[in-house]
Amino acid sequence: MIETIRKLAEAYGPSGREEDVHRIVLEELKNHIDGYKFDRVGNLIVWKDGKSGKKVMLDAHSDEIGLVVTNIDKNGFLRVETVGGVPPHPYVGQRVKFPQCTGIVYVEGETSQDMKKNFSNLSFDVMYVDIGASSYEEAQKVAPIGTFGVYDSRFMQNGDFLTSKAMDDRVGCAVVIEVLKRLNSPNNTVYCSFSTQEEIGLMGARVAGYDIMPEACIAIDVTASSDTPKAFKRHAMVLKKGPAIKVKDRASISDRKIVDKLIELAEESGIPYQMEVLTMGGTNAAAFQATASGIASATVSIPTRYVHTPSETVHLDDIKNCVNLLIEYVQKGV
Amino acid sequence: MYLKELTEIGGVSGDESRVRDFIASKIKDKVDETHVDKLGNLIALKKGKKNGKRFLLAAHMDEIGFMVTNIEDDGTLSFSPIGGVDPRVVPGKRVKIADKVTGVIGYKAIHLQKKEEIFKVPAFENLRIYIGTDSKEASSKLVNIGDSVVFTTEYREENGRATGKAFDDRAGCSVMMDLIDNIDRYDFDVYFAFLVQEEVGLRGSAVIAEQIQPDVAIVLEGTTAGDNPEVPEYKWATHIGDGPAVTFMHRGYVVSSKVVQNIMSIAQKNGIPYQAKRRTAGGTDAARLAGTWRGVPSGVISVPSRYIHSPVSMIDLNDYHNTVGLVEKILDEGEVFFK
Repeated sequence: MIETIRKLAEAYGPSGREEDVHRIVLEELKNHIDGYKFDRVGNLIVWKDGKSGKKVMLDAHSDEIGLVVTNIDKNGFLRVETVGGVPPHPYVGQRVKFPQCTGIVYVEGETSQDMKKNFSNLSFDVMYVDIGASSYEEAQKVAPIGTFGVYDSRFMQNGDFLTSKAMDDRVGCAVVIEVLKRLNSPNNTVYCSFSTQEEIGLMGARVAGYDIMPEACIAIDVTASSDTPKAFKRHAMVLKKGPAIKVKDRASISDRKIVDKLIELAEESGIPYQMEVLTMGGTNAAAFQATASGIASATVSIPTRYVHTPSETVHLDDIKNCVNLLIEYVQKGV
Repeated sequence: MYLKELTEIGGVSGDESRVRDFIASKIKDKVDETHVDKLGNLIALKKGKKNGKRFLLAAHMDEIGFMVTNIEDDGTLSFSPIGGVDPRVVPGKRVKIADKVTGVIGYKAIHLQKKEEIFKVPAFENLRIYIGTDSKEASSKLVNIGDSVVFTTEYREENGRATGKAFDDRAGCSVMMDLIDNIDRYDFDVYFAFLVQEEVGLRGSAVIAEQIQPDVAIVLEGTTAGDNPEVPEYKWATHIGDGPAVTFMHRGYVVSSKVVQNIMSIAQKNGIPYQAKRRTAGGTDAARLAGTWRGVPSGVISVPSRYIHSPVSMIDLNDYHNTVGLVEKILDEGEVFFK
C-alpha cells in the first residue's frame, strides 16, 4: 500500500489536470472493479456490483493544489497565481514542477527594505518563477501562460510516518483503492469517485453526486493535526489515533446517521478512531449534500501535519484503520 | 452591433426586464423558439438540421449598480451596492432610479474637506442619492425602497474604441445578438442564453444546465483589462486591442483543457488575434454550467474592457468584432467540441 501511496502522491495532478492520477488509479484497480467511466468534467467513477440493490459511494479527490502561469516577462521569468489554497511561504526557494520544466520560486525586492517588506507580507504578487529561460519566447515554449505546476517534492518515509506533497488527497485515493481491492463480493454496490477540481471549489463532486445519487456517501480527505509544537489549540485531531470521523467543518455538517453508524461499527470491530470538528476547511461532502435532491454524506479524515505544503505528513496506522472502517461501512452501513 | 442600445439600458441584477425585452424584440423573428424561464433567463434556440447535439452560448444581462435601502427624512436616499462596486468610483455620479427618476450621488465638495479626508475611501453608509426633494414625503412619491439604481453613461465611439457602461456583460449580449443576425443553421442545435443575476453570484446560470442539457458551452463576457499605466505589464489580465481573451482558469473552475485548445486552434487557423486571460480572479457563469447537472464543459471568451464595474469603461472595437468572428468560426467548426 505504501508504494501505491508513493506513486499517487508523486504524480502530477493540479486541479483540472488529473489525468495522470486517474491513470495510476485505473492501473491499480485493474481486475478489482466491475466497471468505470469518465464523466464530462473528468471525474473517474468506478464501481463494484453488490447484491442488495443499494448504492453506497466513497469519494477521494484526485486533484492537488498548484500554481498556474499567468504572465511571462521579457527576460523569461514567470508570474504565477494559485490553484486552490496555496500558502506562499513554503514556495520560497522551493521548486515548482511543470509538465515540461521545473522552476525555482523566489521573492523580488530591489532594496533590503523591500525584501524585508515582501517577506513579511509574502504573496505571489511579489514572487516569480525562474525556469532558466532568457526571453519571453523561450519561456512560452516550455511553460506557456496557462501551464499548471505543483510542488517538486519526493515521497519520504520516517518509520511509519509518510511524507509527500499531495497527500491531500492522494492518501484518500489510496484508501479507496485499498478498500476496493479487499472488498470481495460486496453487499451493497460500491461506487467510488476520484473527483476533479476539489481544491478550487468542490467542482467535480457536484457532478459525480448528481450522476450516481447513492444512498450514502463518504468523502475521504485529509484534516489538520494538532500534535506539533504550539499547534492549533482548538482542534482535537492527532496522528496515530485512527481515522477521524468528521462531525463538522466550515462547509458541511456530516449526516448524523452516518456518523453514528461509523462510531458503532468502529466500536464493534475494535477499530481505533477519533472524532473531528474542524473550524476551517471543507470537503466534497458539502458538494454531495447540496447536489441534485441531496445525498446523505459525511467525511472520514486522515489527520495530516503540514497540509498544503510540500511535506504533508500522515501515519500508516491511521491509513490502515481508515481502510478497515470503510470496509465495515460499505458492507454494513446502509 | 447593439452596444449603444444595450449599454444605455439600465439592468441591475434582479431588474433585467428592460434588457431582456429589448433583446427579445430584436431576436424573436430570427430564431426558432424563445422562452423566459422561472428565474428570468431569456433562452433562444436556433434548431439544428440533424437535431442531435446542443451547443450553448451564454452571456449575462445584468450589470452592477445599487438598490435604494431607505428614504431619509431629508428626502435623500440611502443605498447599497449590487455586485462588486468600488466605493471610490461612486461619489459625484449621476444615476437613474427605477428607470425614471434622475439623481446625483452626493459627497462633500473638495472645498469643505479636510486634507486627510480627501483620499479616504468613502463608505457606502455615508453616501446619499439626492433627487431634488427636501422631504421623505416628496421622495416617497417618486421612488420606493428596493428600487434599482444605475449609472447613466451614454455610449460613444472614438478612434476605434468605445466607451460606455456595462460592457460587462452587454458586450457578450451584443456578440450573441450579432451571431443570431449572422449565422446559418448548423447540424447541431444552438442555444443562446441571456442570463440574470450573474453579478450577485452566478444565480441565473444555476438553472441553465439542467434545463438545456447542452454538450458544450461558451460563456461570452466583458472582462477586466487591467492594462493601466501604473500596473506593470506582467500583472495585466488582458490588454485592449490584442484580441478576444480566452480563459484557462478562474474562480471555482479550471476550464476544460480540450475546450481551451479547440478555441485557440480555431483562432490560429483563421488568423483571428486572441490573448490568454492572464489573471485568475473573478468567476463567470462557466463555473456554474460546469458544476451543475451532469457538468457542461464550458469555455470563456471575453472582450477586454478597461475600468469595468465603474460608471464608464472602454473597449477596443476590433476586439469586439474579433470576438464575434471567433465565435462564428467556433460554431462553423462546432463538431470538434463534441468529440
